[in-house]
Amino acid sequence: MFTDLVQPDRVHRSLYTDREVFTREMERVYGGTWTYLAHESELPGPHDFVRRRLGLRPVIVTRDAEGGLHGLLNRCTHRGATVCRDDEGTTARFVCGYHNWTFDSTGALVGVPMRKGYGPSFEPGSLGLGRLRVESYRGFVFGTLNQEMPPLEEHLGYAARLLDQWLDRLPGSRLVVRHGTHRLRYRGNWKLTYDNSADGYHPGFSHASLLRMRKQRYGVGVDMQWTLGDVDNGGQTVTDLGNGHTFLDQRAEIDSYWESSAPMPGEQAYEAVLRERLGEEAERMLDLAVGSGMNLNIFPNLLVIGNQIQVIEPFDVDDTHLIWYATSLEGEGVPEELTALRMRLQEDFPSFGEPDDLVNFEECQNGLSIPEMEWVVTHRHLETGRSHLDENGNLTGPVTDELPIRAFWRRWTELMTSETKLVAR
Amino acid sequence: MNLDEILGSATTSSYVDDAYYALLQTDLTEWRARGTPLADPDLEGLILHENWLLDRRAYEDWFDLYARECLYWVPNVDVLAEEPPTLGGKPTGGSLGYTKAAVRPHDPRTRVAIAFDDRRRLGDRIVWLRTGVAYSQLPPSATSHVSSGFVRVPTARPGEVKIRSQFVCHEIRAGHPVRTLAGWAGHVLVTEDGETRIARKIAALLDPDRTHLNLSFLL
Ligand code: FES
Ligand SMILES: [Fe+2]
Repeated sequence: MFTDLVQPDRVHRSLYTDREVFTREMERVYGGTWTYLAHESELPGPHDFVRRRLGLRPVIVTRDAEGGLHGLLNRCTHRGATVCRDDEGTTARFVCGYHNWTFDSTGALVGVPMRKGYGPSFEPGSLGLGRLRVESYRGFVFGTLNQEMPPLEEHLGYAARLLDQWLDRLPGSRLVVRHGTHRLRYRGNWKLTYDNSADGYHPGFSHASLLRMRKQRYGVGVDMQWTLGDVDNGGQTVTDLGNGHTFLDQRAEIDSYWESSAPMPGEQAYEAVLRERLGEEAERMLDLAVGSGMNLNIFPNLLVIGNQIQVIEPFDVDDTHLIWYATSLEGEGVPEELTALRMRLQEDFPSFGEPDDLVNFEECQNGLSIPEMEWVVTHRHLETGRSHLDENGNLTGPVTDELPIRAFWRRWTELMTSETKLVAR
Repeated sequence: MNLDEILGSATTSSYVDDAYYALLQTDLTEWRARGTPLADPDLEGLILHENWLLDRRAYEDWFDLYARECLYWVPNVDVLAEEPPTLGGKPTGGSLGYTKAAVRPHDPRTRVAIAFDDRRRLGDRIVWLRTGVAYSQLPPSATSHVSSGFVRVPTARPGEVKIRSQFVCHEIRAGHPVRTLAGWAGHVLVTEDGETRIARKIAALLDPDRTHLNLSFLL
């Protein structure tokens, strides 16, 4: 169905502009594969919940009394109203505001006012909230309506190993995702963000403002200067991890995380405190304030970048919300000052980096509206022979290789053409 | 200051420490209080002048209004939120239930903000806007900042004056619809080198926790 539109070296503009494509994506891509929903630290205790979306479907991620995780469709089984209208909270009962049908934190229907009105054939057991299939990998909770998907970890493949590396920068610590968000919106298609997520071609240009400002104020050694110049001959790489997951690795360019960090309010104050208190151990803690140098993209909506978790929330074919969740580390010996430094540093890119990209995405959307100009070029490095299978058997190329975009479209096409029935259990 | 001077100024950040964060918590407590209508035209004039400079995009002159140790803070949460009392006690339902507090939601030590700019980062912001390649501000946002309802709020801090006001900011970038951003602002004023300067400004939006289009201009 889409073979004319997704070609090996180019894709058709309508995939970004056609509302029918978007509608199908929201059903088949979001929900037809493991789709990121929430992080477990956002709902640490019994009966905690967060409200999310699976494509356009309103969903709730809950913990039951025993700590089990559930993905529930936020839709009353009576006449359809949402039963949860808060972004987050703690409750053993979701009471629909319309006629007070009541559901517990596993989604079971446990209360119906004036129940006698329903007669003897009424079966509350079959009227629980719609349920997603839910699995968690090291705190990252994914849901799907595709009952045929392999287990989550198998589906993640080598992306799970990279997530391990991202999580294990401080062995024994736990990730905490309860520090607020940057909620950015742009008038453009959601895929423009995924296209950008492993795009090592754009930083020297789209982020020229950030790079110039840093260089002029702080000199060459600070923050992302390695994205300037002929980056194809630098140390960065991009990798196709399979199933649409992709990776941009900057780590080979980073000698010292702390020394090359972007600036952050309180930097010298807390650096002095930590060096005084921790001695040599301070260096390791300070490095953890700084982003990982990894951009790990889990198809279709989770982008682990720096120390942040970005989630793509499509609203319409040309309207996307990009939510940046701030993170900290929790564990033995993690100083409070580190959390404060991480908060300040995680404000930097949403202020001075991402806004420029988002405007470029909006301008892509504008340009893609022209019917007579049909194609988006995706073949950079396709013919240069620079890509190769790495030691894990994954296709890796120079950082400006558009192989991640091509990998995205392969997975996208599989899901858009799949006939697998999606069902809520 | 001109742009060249800003380039080399405040390139380290030493004053945002535990004591400074504690001070911000004190501010939040004090901002809640009843204020008295501001009788001092000079203080009101300073805030109106700030608006004027922002609308003119005269960032270098705007920078001069701020004290050596300063903060420009746009939180992403209602920093004065309190759990409201409910008739008949707490309802039992999720949709009617209570929102669980995040980790110290009002403390920027554990929460990111839309903007949390000390003097150095304000300098970064101005230089960034002046690079000429900040695409999010090409073309730039035209703004009209309107402030009113100035009240002076009591403070226990010697040498500081606290002014609370309401603001409405209309913004338009060519090719985009007009947007309205509104909320309350708090200005903490100090005297430095014989001049009244802004030590701390908070711009508290009505909808700080909602998703926003391009916010790369200044409130
Ligand atoms: S729609 Fe929910 S109880 Fe009627
Ligand atoms: Fe970017």
